Amino acid sequence: MIDGPLLWYLNRGTGFVILGLFTATTVLGILATGGRAGRGVPRFVTQSLHRNLALVSVSLLAAHVGTAVADGYVDIRWWQALVPYVGSTYLPLWLGLGTLALDLVLVVVLTSLVRARLGYRSWRAVHLLAYAGWAAAMAHTLGIGTDVRARTGWADLVVAGCAAVVAGAAVLRVARLAVPAGSRA
Amino acid sequence: MSAPPVAASDAPRVLEGPALLAGLGGGPGLAAHRRQHGELPGVGTDDLLAALGRLRVRGRGGAAFPFETKLRTVAGRRRPVLVVNLSEGEPASAKDCALATARPHLVLDGVDATAAALGAREVHVVLPGERPRVTSAVRAALAERPVRRRTVVHTADSRFVAGQARAALELIAGRPNLPVTSWTPEAVSGHRGRPTLLSNAETWAQVGLLVLRGERGYAALGTADEPGTTLVTLSAATPTVLEVPFGTPWRDVLPTSWAGRPVLVGGFHGSWVSWEELAAGTVSVDAMRAAGTPLGAGVLICPEEPPAAYTARLVGYLAGQSAGRCGPCRHGLPALAAAVGTGDQERTTELARLVTGRGACAHPDGTARLVRSLARLRVAS
Amino acid sequence: MTARLRVDWPACRARGLCHELLPELVDLDEWGYPIVGGEVTPDLLADARAAVRMCPRLALRLEEPRPL
Repeated sequence: MIDGPLLWYLNRGTGFVILGLFTATTVLGILATGGRAGRGVPRFVTQSLHRNLALVSVSLLAAHVGTAVADGYVDIRWWQALVPYVGSTYLPLWLGLGTLALDLVLVVVLTSLVRARLGYRSWRAVHLLAYAGWAAAMAHTLGIGTDVRARTGWADLVVAGCAAVVAGAAVLRVARLAVPAGSRA
Repeated sequence: MSAPPVAASDAPRVLEGPALLAGLGGGPGLAAHRRQHGELPGVGTDDLLAALGRLRVRGRGGAAFPFETKLRTVAGRRRPVLVVNLSEGEPASAKDCALATARPHLVLDGVDATAAALGAREVHVVLPGERPRVTSAVRAALAERPVRRRTVVHTADSRFVAGQARAALELIAGRPNLPVTSWTPEAVSGHRGRPTLLSNAETWAQVGLLVLRGERGYAALGTADEPGTTLVTLSAATPTVLEVPFGTPWRDVLPTSWAGRPVLVGGFHGSWVSWEELAAGTVSVDAMRAAGTPLGAGVLICPEEPPAAYTARLVGYLAGQSAGRCGPCRHGLPALAAAVGTGDQERTTELARLVTGRGACAHPDGTARLVRSLARLRVAS
Repeated sequence: MTARLRVDWPACRARGLCHELLPELVDLDEWGYPIVGGEVTPDLLADARAAVRMCPRLALRLEEPRPL
């Protein structure tokens, strides 16, 4: 176990960055593939951005989880990164939500890598779990995030901002869905 | 959704014929059928394939695909499935209905003979959704026969495209009765990935006739190039179904009341042909295909309305019959109906080109063919 | 024989990515649905494969010629 605050700060730092990245990924996912080709950014750009951002987020997520396990300040075992709640001693509920988020993200990413083999319907059913993953990550942040719990203003702002952006994108997408296909230019 | 210009009938006038429709007076029952045709002989796949090839037996569902080719594809593979397509989705057609109500055992003998030759253990029958007499007649016929293999009966939706091959396969798989893209022919991979021999009811009846009468008996009618007979529906409020040997001059088949008026040959996806051209020809799959007026499923319509008005009404109906999933069909057919209605020739031609070949099934293609034939009719006259 | 692009029409929702990635072969009709013109020549093969991979509905397929 490595002592000292470096890992701890890395863990907290990556936590917030990933929250932003996953939020951006989710927003891009909501906006990227709804509707049809047309003005503005080409659809394949938005979609590529969505994919690449997701992969970057997952890489940072590995660092976030790695630093949490390696750090000696709190007792988090490596298997608690994959199995939520059972036997964990450090804020089991909130850590468990983080683990849940990781599990869901892993399932979503892995199925996306073999999308063609899965078939569209199965792939999409699993992909919708991304929303649940994002929500779990948000809850995890609110419950376990040191900075959030310390009630520092900026942390609350970041979380609120993420929530607002996703909600806004969802509203936009639903509004677009209400317009029947073929009547859009 | 507009009503079809011709309503589907389950009580057509069925005329006595020389082969398929012979001995109608005995009724549709199995005993009468056996008295007329005898017991169903067993036949090996190779013999059957050879006979089908020599006699050039073709599908009667509209595409006139050589049945021998389909059977040969299925014969080489394991666990085949046989499907009888009796859905007759074309409302103006009544020949399959006629067979079902008057000669069901001819259809079923064709299926049984082929199934026995292939060692097939599963048969599916697709019945029409809106011709109740057909359903009761087929169920009664099935009940009369000894059960030799698993036979499942399905009912198609009352939709024009419900009888399309892949749509029928979707139905028997328990999914919505709508066409899907076919990546491999169903004879290779169809129902549950198994080789599937799906054919029109009349095609099966022709096979049954061949097995019961033998090659010589079958070839006694028709021509050397096109042996045998085919069923034709003359559309009317009460349609007439008659059996016609290939090579018969159309002049001998068509009602005199139709003289001088253009005829729509091949049903709602068919082609307009002038009376003069049609009356000068014979009942022939090859000749009519070469002339650009394919026989299709043998439906002939001679409406009271002028062809332009009738076509506009027809395209409007066909647009409403789209499964509504393939974009070019869903958007293009209503636009085509509008263009035909206003007589915008340029837009009609453009849309006909745009919808052709861009869908899971041939519904838009057939509609485009109908529209193009109207233009040719105008040019010819 | 060259490769051929085929559209799974019931799956297609006119998202248009195929046209963005392969404008040489894929045009869009007035409703946004793809018009595939011509066969996939070897120089376009990589882009065609990308278009197949990127279709959000998995509605595009590349039928490569089977080896004799």
